[in-house]
Amino acid sequence: MDLIAGRVWADERRPIRHLDPVLLVTTMLLAAAGLFLVYSATHQSLDALKLDPAQFVKKQFTAFVLGFVLLILVAAFDYRFYKVYAGFIYGAVVVALVIVRFTPLGSNPSGAQRWFTFGGFQLTPSEFAKIALILMIATVLSELRTAEPMLIDVLRVTMIAIVPIGLVFIQPDIGTTIVLVAILVGTLVVAGTRPRHLAVLAVTACVLLFGAFQLNVIKGYQLDRLVAFLDSGSDTQGANYNRNQAEIAIGAGGLLGQGYLHGKLTNLDFVPEQHTDFIFTALGEEFGFVGAACMLALFAILMWRAIRIAYLSKDAFGTFVASGIAAMFAIQMFVNIGMVIGIMPITGIPLPFVSYGGSSMLANFIAVGLLLNIHMRRFT
Amino acid sequence: MMFAALTARLWYLQVLATQGYVEQVNNASFRWLQVEPERGRILDSKGDPLVENRLTRVVTVQEQLLGDDPEAVLFRLAQHLDVPEQDIVERLQSKDYYDYQRVPVAIDVSEEDIFYIAEHSDEFPGVYWDEQTVRRYPRGPLAAHVLGQLGLIDRDEVDQPAFEDYGPNEEVGKTGLEKTYERFLHGVPGTNKIVVNPAGKLLDELGGRLPQPGDDVRLYLDSRLQAAVERRLQEGIERARSMPDEDTANDVANFVANAGAVVVLDPKTFGVEASASWPSFDPNWFVKGMTDRENRERITSPEAGGPLFDRVTQGTYAPGSTFKPFIALAAVRNDVTSLGAYTDCPSSWAYPLDPEHPFNNWSSYSRGPISIPTALEVSCDTVFYQWGAEFYDRWKADQLGTASEPLQRDLRGFGFGRDPGIDLPSRSSGFIPTADWKQKQHEADDKLFPYGWLPGDDVLMSIGQGYVLTSPLQVAAAYASLVNGGRLCEPRLAERIQNAEGRPVSKPGPQRCEDLPYTQQELGVIQEGLRQVVQGDEGTAASAFAGFPFARVPIMGKTGTAERPGFTTVEGQTQGQDTSWFAAIVGPSNDQHVIVAMVEQAGHGSTTAAPIVRTIIEDMYDLGDTGAPVIEATD
Repeated sequence: MDLIAGRVWADERRPIRHLDPVLLVTTMLLAAAGLFLVYSATHQSLDALKLDPAQFVKKQFTAFVLGFVLLILVAAFDYRFYKVYAGFIYGAVVVALVIVRFTPLGSNPSGAQRWFTFGGFQLTPSEFAKIALILMIATVLSELRTAEPMLIDVLRVTMIAIVPIGLVFIQPDIGTTIVLVAILVGTLVVAGTRPRHLAVLAVTACVLLFGAFQLNVIKGYQLDRLVAFLDSGSDTQGANYNRNQAEIAIGAGGLLGQGYLHGKLTNLDFVPEQHTDFIFTALGEEFGFVGAACMLALFAILMWRAIRIAYLSKDAFGTFVASGIAAMFAIQMFVNIGMVIGIMPITGIPLPFVSYGGSSMLANFIAVGLLLNIHMRRFT
Repeated sequence: MMFAALTARLWYLQVLATQGYVEQVNNASFRWLQVEPERGRILDSKGDPLVENRLTRVVTVQEQLLGDDPEAVLFRLAQHLDVPEQDIVERLQSKDYYDYQRVPVAIDVSEEDIFYIAEHSDEFPGVYWDEQTVRRYPRGPLAAHVLGQLGLIDRDEVDQPAFEDYGPNEEVGKTGLEKTYERFLHGVPGTNKIVVNPAGKLLDELGGRLPQPGDDVRLYLDSRLQAAVERRLQEGIERARSMPDEDTANDVANFVANAGAVVVLDPKTFGVEASASWPSFDPNWFVKGMTDRENRERITSPEAGGPLFDRVTQGTYAPGSTFKPFIALAAVRNDVTSLGAYTDCPSSWAYPLDPEHPFNNWSSYSRGPISIPTALEVSCDTVFYQWGAEFYDRWKADQLGTASEPLQRDLRGFGFGRDPGIDLPSRSSGFIPTADWKQKQHEADDKLFPYGWLPGDDVLMSIGQGYVLTSPLQVAAAYASLVNGGRLCEPRLAERIQNAEGRPVSKPGPQRCEDLPYTQQELGVIQEGLRQVVQGDEGTAASAFAGFPFARVPIMGKTGTAERPGFTTVEGQTQGQDTSWFAAIVGPSNDQHVIVAMVEQAGHGSTTAAPIVRTIIEDMYDLGDTGAPVIEATD
């Protein structure tokens, strides 16, 4: 092989040349849409308080920039590297979850304990638990000697997952718990777990959940929300209020929407938590069915790219990581939008890249960084 | 499959069923609402504000919506706002608010704190924030007693015609000038088609009738004088507390001097130029809303000494010798004595039918016959005893006559025992005892007054003792009538009502006046006596005004030292110390001011009240220090 041909060959195999521009652009579009929607959902009420109407957006933008930097960092180092450190990352997140729940360092000693406070920012460890769990499960499953996991392997992976899942569940944060379970199940399915084994898992989970109800681990408001979902005519001002207002806002959007910053309910604080979990209502009201369908399309592209990367991955680790991430995005998108439009119960799950929230933004960018990483290095 | 489900549902909501939702939006978000007007200010005589408005951010809590774990929410809120949780709980328990109302639990909350709560609304259910207009007192506690406070409108008030324009959450004047002039200060509410969120917060205005701001109330009160009066009163009280009480036989070494009052009145207009009551308070306490604990510490505890009580208008005391000019005028008018007559002034005098129980003069020095001015100058009690006894004899001789109690009638003519009619909602009438009153008391309770109206009742009334009670304001108004040609009017704090540009818009309300049946000559004789009290060689206030430049500022006055019955304190039964009085008329005849000072449990008029008035006069006329009063115990 002559020198020049060698250099061209090496050049062609440089990871940066195999970036996935579709994935990158899709991510950016979602995050940018999020900034506009957060502004729309918050500017009026901030203005009414004589506060800076862009206050939330500025914080969100900061998270966006930080997230992008993290994406580059995560993509820069070969992802196989992370396999080595998966154990450490997993351990660190578990320790953080324990500290946030059981020590006064967690922000709210008497209520839900979900975040640490640093200066003006909060760090929510459960967001990063998603990434840690994906890496850890992928590491364990990729080390298997057999072609498909035996029951003992399934149990091992499940035991690994159950620790952060349990810690998040008792925070209590049902939303993130669901996402973590989806990651576990999704990755196991991709790894070729037999349906029989999955059934065993499902039965065990049911028994555990029943026990949780019996021991009163599940808080009253979570039950309220569940009951409200099952009986939606019951109580307009209480637990059902959020979903009714959200439904009205989206319904009022019509085909084309009311126009940006012209959604009445969005402007007027009708939908509680609108900049976080209910951000989709702002889109639905102001951009109508067309806007909502566009966002669904963006999420579809995101998932298509993630699943594609899982196929293209050079090794099993990459496949499992990519499928874990695909499962994570899929469940979050489906449960969030589903709850907003009334086909899923209300659980506190943010819409990836769009909902207001720094930690969620950072975790999602790290996930995309991992996807890009796997895609870039599919030949090396 | 996931996407199919989501898309299908969106299609249903946004395309198939959209019409119903659009209607819901249009109905829910608009409302006709009453817009509260900005409240008028209270200004001093120069137009400088004593009470104005400011905007503040408040955090409110609706208890019913606190969720499953209200304590946790309140705990977080307390931690975040850095206030004791107990305070928030106590404010929530306030009886001023009903359960469904949002109770302000913190005022002057920073932007950052509001933002934090807004950002974590799921952590703070039932917690709201709002911008509110509250009262601001640029001069702090100055004139606190007359200004008054706002409070939430009462449930039964809302239905009254006077409060037709008011909403159930509105603040109204509850005390003081804020209450008297509510109808001017309040303004006219506007109506507005507004956009509200489900919480009822105003978010956008779509037009309507604008509210008309309330008018300003401008007072006669001079801030500079008021500040001097408050300072001098407090200094005088502190001075009294350092003086030993040599008169009474109780174990308290020094004067207690627990409270005092000073009022300055213009005898032409009866405008109140200054009004101070001590102990006092800071009106800002009420803006923040007080917790039970603060209320106990600052207001209701025995140590606080009743700071809310306005001793100028609400406190009543035996007037002592400050009463004598009015007794003398009544005696002349009823021919008990005559203007030029001379009356004996022995050191002791007894009612002829009861020689065993003599009444003593305050001084053991016996004089021969003296004139009315001299009787006032030396404050001779025995002269007045004789006149009082004559009034008694007349009543005794003609108990059923139409004017059988001319003394009481004439004292009432000076405003004593009657509603003074000042423009404050809470004011005391004082008390002038009558035979009829004694009789009724006896009928109600056999043990009371078994002997009916006695000579001693008239005798003691003639030196302002016995059952007589007057407020410092009543004394000031009566003294004003001595120098303005015999005219008695209702005192007024408010001079006029003006709009925000300073143009007068209306009168504060009618001011009743009466002309008293005394001639210039009669009043002149009394004035001569009052001049000698201060400027004469033997005047009871001569020592207090030793070295004072009368050529620059003429002063008339009368001291008073009123015995006070024993009362129960925390330590037990105590002999009451004397009430120290001084009533003065200051300035040239075309620009006079009446100053009345009263200090409870502070000894002689000449030693506590008169020196306070002297220092006030020094400040009023920029005289500087005119020298120290000589401390000499006179009546």
